Amino acid sequence: MGEPAEDVRPSLAERLLAGDRAALARALTLIERGHDRVRALMAALGPHLGHALALGFTGPPGAGKSTLVSAVVAALRRSGRSVAVIAVDPSSPISGGAILGDRLRMGEHAGDEGVFIRSFASRGHVGGLTPAAVRAIDAFDAAGFDVVILETVGAGQSDIDVAEVADLRVVLDAPGLGDDVQAMKAGILDIADVLVVNKGDAAGADALHRNLKGARGLSARGASTPVLRTVATTGEGVDALVETLDGLAEALTLTPAERRRRRARRLLAWAAEALVARLVGEGRAPGVDRLSDAILAAEIAPDDAARRLLAELAP
Amino acid sequence: MTDSLPPRVLVTKIGLDGHDRGSRVVAAYLRDAGMEVIYTPPWQEIAHVVQLAQQEDVDVIGVSSLSTDHRLIPKLMAALAEAGLAHVRVVVGGIVPDEDEAALREIGVAAVYHPGASRDEIVGGVARFAREAQAEKEEAIG
Amino acid sequence: MSLDDPRQLSLPGFEAAKARWQQEFAAHAGDAPNPRNRSGIEIKPLYTPEDWGPERYMDDLGFPGQGGMTRGIHASMHRGRTWTQRQLAGLGVPADYNARLKALVESGASAASLIPCNSVYRGYDADEVDPLLLGTCGAVVNTVDDMAVCFDGIPIGEFSTALNDPSPFTLLAFLINVAERRGVPLASLSGTSNQSDYLSHFVCNHMFFRLALPGARRVLVDHIAYAQAKLPSWNPLSVVGQHMQQGGATPAEAMGFTLSSAIQYAEDCRAAGMDPDRFLPTFTFFFDISISFFEEIAKVRAARRIWRRITEERFGARNPKAWRFKFHAQTSGVDLTREQPLNNLARVAVQAMAGIFGGLQSLHTDAFDEVLSVPTEKAARVAIATQEILKREAHLTDVIDPLGGSYYVETLTNAMEAEIEAVIARIDEAGGMYAAVESGLVQRMVGDSALAFQEKVETGEQTIVGVNRFRVPETAGERPEPLRPPPMERIEAQLAELARFRAERDRGAATRGLDALARAADSEDENVFAAVVDAAGAGATHGEICGRLRETLGFGNPLIVP
Repeated sequence: MGEPAEDVRPSLAERLLAGDRAALARALTLIERGHDRVRALMAALGPHLGHALALGFTGPPGAGKSTLVSAVVAALRRSGRSVAVIAVDPSSPISGGAILGDRLRMGEHAGDEGVFIRSFASRGHVGGLTPAAVRAIDAFDAAGFDVVILETVGAGQSDIDVAEVADLRVVLDAPGLGDDVQAMKAGILDIADVLVVNKGDAAGADALHRNLKGARGLSARGASTPVLRTVATTGEGVDALVETLDGLAEALTLTPAERRRRRARRLLAWAAEALVARLVGEGRAPGVDRLSDAILAAEIAPDDAARRLLAELAP
Repeated sequence: MTDSLPPRVLVTKIGLDGHDRGSRVVAAYLRDAGMEVIYTPPWQEIAHVVQLAQQEDVDVIGVSSLSTDHRLIPKLMAALAEAGLAHVRVVVGGIVPDEDEAALREIGVAAVYHPGASRDEIVGGVARFAREAQAEKEEAIG
Repeated sequence: MSLDDPRQLSLPGFEAAKARWQQEFAAHAGDAPNPRNRSGIEIKPLYTPEDWGPERYMDDLGFPGQGGMTRGIHASMHRGRTWTQRQLAGLGVPADYNARLKALVESGASAASLIPCNSVYRGYDADEVDPLLLGTCGAVVNTVDDMAVCFDGIPIGEFSTALNDPSPFTLLAFLINVAERRGVPLASLSGTSNQSDYLSHFVCNHMFFRLALPGARRVLVDHIAYAQAKLPSWNPLSVVGQHMQQGGATPAEAMGFTLSSAIQYAEDCRAAGMDPDRFLPTFTFFFDISISFFEEIAKVRAARRIWRRITEERFGARNPKAWRFKFHAQTSGVDLTREQPLNNLARVAVQAMAGIFGGLQSLHTDAFDEVLSVPTEKAARVAIATQEILKREAHLTDVIDPLGGSYYVETLTNAMEAEIEAVIARIDEAGGMYAAVESGLVQRMVGDSALAFQEKVETGEQTIVGVNRFRVPETAGERPEPLRPPPMERIEAQLAELARFRAERDRGAATRGLDALARAADSEDENVFAAVVDAAGAGATHGEICGRLRETLGFGNPLIVP
């Protein structure tokens, strides 16, 4: 790790803590930029964390996530709480650019100073969540927001990511998306705190609702996971969802500090993955190819090969 | 971790017109050139555009204007300045009569792109303006 | 006999001549791949009786006014009655519109079209928007009085009026009240509700997005029912292919989407208990005519056939008027350029020719300065003169469907028919046009086509003269003077007029009218449009009517598919 190019002036952190939205926006950009610039900032924010509740919303495309999040934001605002939304959209794997369109559906909150929406591009992180987006939760926490909503395109893996990073996890589904079994894949049911059937007035909603209820009995969490129904476009069922979340929040066993640490562990896991990818990907040492050949020829088991790699890294 | 960020561009429409074929095509071009594009529906209020520019810390705002909505641009420029966002470059694309173009440049609009402007021209211009905006931000806040 | 069956020709010497031509062609033209038109159909260099022959005449063509009506919906077509000269007009304050309308009438227009200001499109009164934006591309019409001024001195009972007036059709409501004031029988009000196609607005994010989808659906059906009962000379529905095509859809897609929309509207009317033989004859269509000359001709010829089948097979229509595919065409503004704008005169002439050869019922020719700003009066005159020149000097209308029987045009018509049917099938599969639009499918298809076309322009595969080839350095002075927006004094005078109207009207009556409107919208079976007409007559303004309906029927939020 190198020296920080320049320390972030304390005044940015101070302004952020005082509720200056411009400072917050700048801080988010710095967080996206890279860790050397951010160190001093995060240090300054550290003592002011632990108030915000982080909610994760995932689900397949077409389930109406953004519309539902917008309705949830409205409900939270009615209860007097301030809300930040971290909306993650996928970057193009070819160009690296992105159309950040999630907030398109949240236009009803324009002009409301109690709502701050920030769009993040996934920047190649297959899971959809980036370290920057995760750190942004802290920035919003320090800035005084009561609730931080993390919204990403769900497709298995990213649902898992969000699970570790959010305090409460809402997994969305909707009828007619072609795959009723989707929610049951990749252990989604194990990590969801609340399951929501959106487009609850459409054909197939009843069946989906029943399926999910039945399926959760098979999951590790057991049959107690609430399965709710909403119609995000009209707001139906949204108040009940927020009530449910509030109830669950009160029953949370981990302290805010412990929850933050869990987030940090996820970051560590990512960093490790990136490291491993570098090790075995392009620019790999010739030894790696020899190991791979050995695995193919059944001369060595993959587990043993991995251990050998690790041993070389940290003798 | 990289120190440079892809340009962040807000593509929007203010005023009353709703035709967005042009702005959609431009948004796709910018994305394909590696930029991050925050794309809004038409009919945005100026105050909301300013809020968006601030929350998303954009480098460039691209306003698509077909009928005479460009007449609102002076109000947008003033609102941006007042919100401390004078470093954000504003470009206008669409149908703008010549005299109006000169007036827009005078109040600080970085470029006006007419129908027929090529992709390279638009993408190149926006990329350059984004770099300028980012450099100014560096100086201001560090 | 299908298109793919090798056609048995007994033309002595044909094969030998063909072989020789192919050799000579290849020697000079090489073997570059055939180009494709905008709808993706491959275009060969030569078409012969191998592609199409007169033994298919009765199956494919028949006579004008009969069968699939490929050659035209009427027996006499333009020989019997030339197409309606319907130029768009919309300018500033009502008095300005009236002046422009009178000038157009003097130079030969036989019908009027009214374009309102964008503020009206959005559902607002003049005092609800920034005055900088008022009256710059259309007339500011907020009240019955404004409408009366627009049509002062114009015999509305003998004139065909197209109102660019989306749901809830307040402009027509105003016109109806003006007619009643003047003692003109409603049965003689003839014209079209030109922007009644709410689905196309939703897809192309046009200016006037007022009511949520379900509400717009209801109001349209009420509107059609009202017209059936009270306005026998009025076409309450114009299904608009122009929006899709201008938004980037290929010609085949635009036609496919339009026909699918018409199917959707017809189904909604039938579900409301209306008789297809009565409502289908009031369905009209509105298309963009691009500069892809032959493709456009084939597009509408094919459409006539398809519509005949749709009305008969899907709706059991037996009234021949229901089978007729009536359409208004506008030369496509998207093809016009800002560079060397005089070139647009040539483009518009070619587009207009395509429309004429396609057998349109009504034509608007764009002015050459359309891309610069709102067209000037001079340019608008030239646009009308273009039509007269094509008719009277080039004699393009002396022969019905003059391109009929062309090996190329008939082959292309059949190919376009297949493409259009494929689009309709895709929409059918998606559950119909309403469902397809709700889900964003149509928006995606249009966006993809827009990008694909732009790509061709960027790479130079599609030349745009003056833009990506044949560029000429120009100075600003070479471009014609654009039309300036109305001076602020006139806008202020209009705002004062609006204030006067509000002050002098019977406020109680207007409020009651609006309350009745809200009740009708809430109810299941009251006719919302009838309530709009009554509210307008009671003195409610355009913005008030739209605002009230939005409360019950919801504000339409565009579904953007980036």
